[in-house]
Amino acid sequence: MDKKTRTRVGGPEDPREGLEAVVALRRMLEALEAAQVENAFVAGWSWARIAEILGVSKQAVHKKHARRIRDKYPGEPPGRKGSSA
Amino acid sequence: MFNRLTDRSRRCVQAAFEEARMLGHDALGDEDLLLGILRADEGVAAEALSSLGVTLEAAREETEEMLSDALSSIGISLEEIRREAGEAFEMRIPDDRRIPYSPGAKKVLVEARKQMRRLGDNYLGTEHVLLGILRNEDGTAVRMLANMGVSPEALEDRLFELRGRAAS
Repeated sequence: MDKKTRTRVGGPEDPREGLEAVVALRRMLEALEAAQVENAFVAGWSWARIAEILGVSKQAVHKKHARRIRDKYPGEPPGRKGSSA
Repeated sequence: MFNRLTDRSRRCVQAAFEEARMLGHDALGDEDLLLGILRADEGVAAEALSSLGVTLEAAREETEEMLSDALSSIGISLEEIRREAGEAFEMRIPDDRRIPYSPGAKKVLVEARKQMRRLGDNYLGTEHVLLGILRNEDGTAVRMLANMGVSPEALEDRLFELRGRAAS
């Protein structure tokens, strides 16, 4: 436990910095999830398989991502050969 | 919250929502209201900002910088994540997701209304919204402006100077 590292991670010296890092991380997490789900979909993965790795239900991942990704790839995306949801 | 908003203010709020969505903000922040003014306003508020060097481009870059700084404070590199995730990576909030007002943005609009009354105006203009933003001392917008070398006091002075000129 390095003291310097501890204070950087939102130590009592600057709670604001720590809180802002949380917000930034949340935004980043959302964007990263969207990108990686899209990448998996384009690579031909089923929603069920994506959901399993993410540790959520297939319904949850479908509800959150399917529309956006389908809008982006109106036909079957490249690398995705007739695999169904 | 929308009583007496001028068309211009309304357009700025609309633009603010678009900016928020683009930046991946899951709620409309006070900094988005600032970006909205920069993007859509043609009145004294935008003029005051641009006369002090605050442009839409510069402000967008500053928000990106602040995001990147916040992440690097906990040892995360925005650039590396971008590279790793590839082309699919974008901060943008998908169109099918609604974005609410943040408590901070609501506070700004309430304060804007107070400023309107204080000045004896009967319309809620972008200058009142900007004053509301500047009074929100703990907000992101004020810090964004500070990072760009602009103090709330200097901006407010400029705003009233321009407003006085427009009225005379």
